[in-house]
Amino acid sequence: MLRNRKNVHYLFVMIACTAGYVWLFFQLWSEESSAVGVCMFKHATGIPCPSCGATRSVLSILDGKVLEALYWNPIGFIVMSIMIACPLWICFDWITHRETFYKFYIAAEKRLRQKKVAIPLVLLIVSNWIWNIYKDV
Amino acid sequence: MEAQKVDMFMMANAKFFESHHLNSIRDRLIALDDAKWGQVQTLQFKDPTTSLIVSIIAGTLGIDRFMIGDTGLGIGKLLTCGGFYVWAIVDWFLIQGATREKNLEKLQTAIY
Repeated sequence: MLRNRKNVHYLFVMIACTAGYVWLFFQLWSEESSAVGVCMFKHATGIPCPSCGATRSVLSILDGKVLEALYWNPIGFIVMSIMIACPLWICFDWITHRETFYKFYIAAEKRLRQKKVAIPLVLLIVSNWIWNIYKDV
Repeated sequence: MEAQKVDMFMMANAKFFESHHLNSIRDRLIALDDAKWGQVQTLQFKDPTTSLIVSIIAGTLGIDRFMIGDTGLGIGKLLTCGGFYVWAIVDWFLIQGATREKNLEKLQTAIY
């Protein structure tokens, strides 16, 4: 049971990361660098969602413009570190036949559900969202 | 456990579980010790219909996943704006099943 779940979980994370990389390279190679337009939330409501600007943020990091990345959306840093760390970690687990990533994920999930961790994070996301709406990303 | 009590429980809570799990849940509850009955009876399950509504309204922010306790997947959805909306739409169809699975997990942790 645990083994099967772990495999599904790893597969899912890998697919998600691959999709992210494909999207990123598509953005890098396409001439016009307008990452706007993919967010259905923005299309539907007219206001940016909490993660709007993350692609532009990651592209700015790749260009070495850290401050610009921070301006677009600080979530870009989180997304980028996840996209780099997760495939490497999964490969490590796969090679050494361990399940450290899965165990870490379960432990992190448990920790995030604690009120003293969850409430500040929710406030952080909401304030970031307000900032996003204010600067109209 | 008395079969009558268990049947009452099953009638009241059948919608919270996958239909193919119902028989094994019933058998398990009949074999259950009486001392655990109070614990089982007071369990609060998540309604699949509610999570579907939440998924349709706030699926892009991952709130549906947070609600049923999949915090990691919720963060994934939140950070990618519902997986570029694709995942959010896929979840409209998956979320009810996922809720029922979570309910089963909850029942299992209470029983064992």
